[in-house]
Amino acid sequence: MGLFERKSLVDDAGGDIDLKPFINFLIVIIPVLMLSSEFAKVSVLNLQLPVDMGSTTAQAQQNRPIVDQNKLQLTMLITDSVVTIGAKNGLLPPLYYKEFHQYVSAADRRVRTTIAYDPHSPGKTAMNPKTGKPFKISERQDIFLYVTDENAKIQNCLYTRDGFMIADEDGKPVTAVKVGDVVYEVTNPRKQITIQNPEIYRLSPLSAYDEMKNRLMKIKERFSDATDADDITIAAENSVAYDKIVQLMDIARIAEFPNISIAKLRG
Amino acid sequence: MAQRGRNKFMTPKSTGLIITSLIDFFSIVVIYLMKSYSSEGSILTNSENLTLPNSYSTKHPSEIHVQIAATTDMILVDNVPVVPTTDAQRLTGDDIPQLIKALKTKYAQEKEQMKLGSANSEESGTATIQIDKNVAFDVLYKIMNSCAGAQYSKMNFAVMERET
Repeated sequence: MGLFERKSLVDDAGGDIDLKPFINFLIVIIPVLMLSSEFAKVSVLNLQLPVDMGSTTAQAQQNRPIVDQNKLQLTMLITDSVVTIGAKNGLLPPLYYKEFHQYVSAADRRVRTTIAYDPHSPGKTAMNPKTGKPFKISERQDIFLYVTDENAKIQNCLYTRDGFMIADEDGKPVTAVKVGDVVYEVTNPRKQITIQNPEIYRLSPLSAYDEMKNRLMKIKERFSDATDADDITIAAENSVAYDKIVQLMDIARIAEFPNISIAKLRG
Repeated sequence: MAQRGRNKFMTPKSTGLIITSLIDFFSIVVIYLMKSYSSEGSILTNSENLTLPNSYSTKHPSEIHVQIAATTDMILVDNVPVVPTTDAQRLTGDDIPQLIKALKTKYAQEKEQMKLGSANSEESGTATIQIDKNVAFDVLYKIMNSCAGAQYSKMNFAVMERET
């Protein structure tokens, strides 16, 4: 008897929590979660053709809208080397850009190359440094558009660590800062920063998308009373890649122009 | 010597499975999976040779009526090939006649189904469009025009959500 008593005492003191049910539970919940998890999230950009203008091009041309004095008629134009914003009264100065394509190998994601792309001689393809073969077009990961001046020299701008462009009070890109400067981070809404440590901002080529976002946000601020203050048209040339259109649509959305239309530039 | 002496007194009766690290691992996996959990599930499936562009949009598709996909070599309606993309690009008009025909058939089918369910049959349809990011704007424009020509005036463009 004494022996039994001692044994049960020892068991109580050193006994672990019974983890078997917990492990069973985990083994059940992991497959359930795995079945219903999404690793690559697909979302949609929503676009609606204007109803009052008719849904086909022929109809739209017949029923031209009445010209409203208070309308802005904002348009983003993109060709193979220029991107700019137009409105009822004219165009903003064009942003010339140079295109860079980043390729990421489908077999090994660490193998990546960025090449300059010239729309006038599009034959050049990037080579995979590992295999020595050219990259496939489906391996093109990103298209970067860098703003250049008239002499095709790439412009630089300071970027925050999170990849946001820095602009001054007038919305011009900033290339150098010192302690105490007041600048603005181009996010919506614009964020004011007083520079404390200039080291954390890095100078990178100015992305045409960021500069367009900057300009659109300024337009939105100034013309928020226009009757079509939420509307924007994206007009593109035939050869412009769909990726660029989607990036422009993203910018328009960030700058609060949710009603996006698409138009074609005739050459 | 000392080691041996200790062993003599502290020999465990049986070595159980070390469960702590296993539970740690499971907990981490559960947390990771819960982060990528989606209650809606994905109703959009994308084909193998189609790379969607990245976007900041977080709007999820709610329902899918007709799915148009344009890869670099073929335009498909509900996974049925309709016309090669290069042919579509070569067309001089603003739309793709073959695509309009395919979409009109789809629209008629859909209308038939809606009538059976006594829904408003006058409503225009919604097309979900998946376009490869390397396809030229020209093709996009023609597809949009064709959609409009076949009563699909609402369009959803599928994009890959950017990781933030």
